[in-house]
Amino acid sequence: MIIRKHAPFTALFILLIILAGAPLLAVLGYTFFKNGTLSFESLLTVLQDNNIIKTMQNSLLLGLYVIAATTCIALPLAIIRTKTFLVKKDWLDIVFIIPFMTPPYIGSMGWILFMQHNGYYEQLFSSEAPFTFFSVPGMVFIMSMHLYPFLYLMLKNALLRLDGSFQEATLIYGGHPIINWIRVVLPLLSSSYVMAALLIFIKTLAEFGTPATFGKRIGYDVFITEIHGYLSRWPINISAATSLSLILLSVCMIIWYIQNLISRRYTYGTHSGRSISSSQTKDSLLVRIFSIGYVLLILGLSIGIPYFSIVVTSLLKVRGEPLSFSNLTLSHYTELFTVGSSSLQALLNSINYAFIASTIAALIGFCIALYVGDAKKKPQQLLDFISLLSNIIPGIVFVVGLILFWNAAWLPATIYNTNWMPILTYIVLFLPFSVQYTKSALSQLHQSIYQSNAVFAQNNWVILLKVWLPLLGQGILAGWMMTFIISMRELVGSLLILPPSVETSATYIYSQFEQGDVSKGMAMAFITVLLTVVCIFLIEIMQRKALSRNE
Amino acid sequence: MKKLKLTAMAAILTTTLLLGACGTDQNEDPGTDNTSSGNHVITVYSAGPGGLAENIQEAFEAETGIKVEMFQSTTGKILSRLEAEANNPVADVVVLASVPSMEGLKSENKLQAYQAENGDSINPDWSDPEHYYYGYSAAALGVAYNTNQIESIDADWNDFSDPEWQGRVTMPDPTSSGSAVDFLYGLTNANDDGWDIVQNWIDNDLLIAGANKESLNAVITGDKDVVVSAVDYMTYKAKHDGEPVDIYYPKSGTVISPRAAGILADAQNLEGAQAFIDFLLSDTAQQMVAEAYILPGNGAIELNDRPALNEIPTLPVDWENAEEKQIETLNEFTSRN
Repeated sequence: MIIRKHAPFTALFILLIILAGAPLLAVLGYTFFKNGTLSFESLLTVLQDNNIIKTMQNSLLLGLYVIAATTCIALPLAIIRTKTFLVKKDWLDIVFIIPFMTPPYIGSMGWILFMQHNGYYEQLFSSEAPFTFFSVPGMVFIMSMHLYPFLYLMLKNALLRLDGSFQEATLIYGGHPIINWIRVVLPLLSSSYVMAALLIFIKTLAEFGTPATFGKRIGYDVFITEIHGYLSRWPINISAATSLSLILLSVCMIIWYIQNLISRRYTYGTHSGRSISSSQTKDSLLVRIFSIGYVLLILGLSIGIPYFSIVVTSLLKVRGEPLSFSNLTLSHYTELFTVGSSSLQALLNSINYAFIASTIAALIGFCIALYVGDAKKKPQQLLDFISLLSNIIPGIVFVVGLILFWNAAWLPATIYNTNWMPILTYIVLFLPFSVQYTKSALSQLHQSIYQSNAVFAQNNWVILLKVWLPLLGQGILAGWMMTFIISMRELVGSLLILPPSVETSATYIYSQFEQGDVSKGMAMAFITVLLTVVCIFLIEIMQRKALSRNE
Repeated sequence: MKKLKLTAMAAILTTTLLLGACGTDQNEDPGTDNTSSGNHVITVYSAGPGGLAENIQEAFEAETGIKVEMFQSTTGKILSRLEAEANNPVADVVVLASVPSMEGLKSENKLQAYQAENGDSINPDWSDPEHYYYGYSAAALGVAYNTNQIESIDADWNDFSDPEWQGRVTMPDPTSSGSAVDFLYGLTNANDDGWDIVQNWIDNDLLIAGANKESLNAVITGDKDVVVSAVDYMTYKAKHDGEPVDIYYPKSGTVISPRAAGILADAQNLEGAQAFIDFLLSDTAQQMVAEAYILPGNGAIELNDRPALNEIPTLPVDWENAEEKQIETLNEFTSRN
């Protein structure tokens, strides 16, 4: 009876430990144990290196800058989307997600090609850019243009939730609208904001694409490029990489802890008064012009310019010649889709891996979400925490751990160098998506469903098939799609763990920049993003259907 | 009620695991597991160059019927993979774009000697006298320039310190390009003032970004005007494709960077690996090397629209025990940069 009672927990726990726990332990072990004895040598050597302090400083500063910049971009956007006539234009949200879905290294390559000497800017305007783009502010700008959608969506949702009663109360009792805003709305927003900002910070620390392309160019080294460097540059130094991974891991854990403290202290029940936005649609002309202008500006900078570079480069016949219609060709796209070519194979591999990984992740996520439920008990909290680990720990730490763990000499069998390795890696990295989506779908269910289950259900399978799956289907599917999209573009892990002879679209693009044909790489990037956008539209349509059915 | 839910979950989980297990059996590609598949598969870790490596792979498969699992990457990533896989090695043959790294593998006893069929026809300067590895091809490092922006040029290495060249020069990053380390090593060993030259470049706003292809791209798109330590075959290839670039070798001499292949000590398919090395040194493969604008290890092979080895002014370089000295070179460079 006891075994039976604990079976779900034990099964899920063992699964998660194999997936996420073991790799982290492998990193710890590799760093601290040399020939069976405890040693802090490699960690100390890394810490004594002068460059490490500088790198750490670079990473942390970059994180702060990016938080500041994304806030400047996202807060006005969130206000515009909740307070002006644009409040009803929900399709804008899909457009705003595109920058976030663009592989960051592609976005920054687009910017580099646009702004460099003799780049597209100079070709279009026949003059040099009036400022130096290749600097730390430029890098912060590119990264913010990639990450702002994340902050924007969180702020927008928070604002939508506090509309209604709070607004009305301030209207009745308060004075000046701006003072109302500062004294009532901002404090209420702070909890959501702090959470989003810290996630932005961690995402900045974990980002590989922009530092690897733009950062390298301006000599701005950060943690993630250093770790990747120790693993992939001659002379190889794996223990330095694991030591750095541990430092990065500690930094992220501290940040996560701070975030928890803050959000616990400053969370207000804003959900209570459910009077949905009494939005006034009578905006002055000035507000209208400003809103539209601002939205267009942000879209132009975050989508227009990078995609202009990407598409133009993918169409160029001779890259050394200036832009002109005679210098354009579709040949890179036809080569991409030639049957039997390595590019088509890479694309199919990506789709395969992403499909299998997201399906398994959705299943595991579903089980975890059902078990964790409202996370009131200790085992539930523990599982919840482990399953969300890869949200707060940069992917590269897991990847290093996965490589070390699956190559351990004592393992009786290993999946290393098989197609299961990338699949497993994607599952580990993106499990939080499916867990969170299913959990949020679960949290919207009314308590009465549990009660009617208990009263009417004949057996567990009926509950599963007739109740949970239909009700949670939308959430699971949304999580599935999200995992699929992100797996499709995953780069830093794929670079390190793919078996021989296998490429994915992301590594294909990267290797085109490293050794091959940039135009082909850009063509592949464009196709991948196109696929992604189609997926996002599908999610959106499904969610809308679900909403209309619920009402 | 709670118990029902939990049992349901346990059931789902078991199904998932079972499905996963079934999937493993079905999806397992016979090629990915080469411990069991005998002599018909070899695994090659090859540091480029893209295109040529694939052509050689196809020709080898057609001739011998042995399937090649190829992992294509940079020298650094291959070394790191070998290190990570030390406990269960999978690679049979390794091809690196840097002889000192090969020396490093040899000194760690990770290679095994093999007297190849055509071994004698291969340039002995690029190969190991004890036959642990063969330099089957080589790139010469020159100065690539954008022909739209520069009409003619014959500057020597130290001329790029002149104010005239300020902000117009780029160089592949030695931390990611093995040939750039070879170049720095050769230049600073052959010239007493070698490091001064390099320092003057850096002071003259030298752009150091990315590996060979990336720095050549900066010149193709007109961002910079010249690449120092440019890999020549890449430039010839781009020129052949119609890009406005060309290359020359400065008079005072340059460095030849050989690409070497060897058999790993842990090779599981030794016969297949030996056949691959034999094929790499055969006239067929050497011809393919030449067609890719690369210098073949066999000097008798006819070249494709590029200067021969004896037409390129070279600096004297001693590759023996170069690994340690190259690490010093790299550290020296990163400390100055």
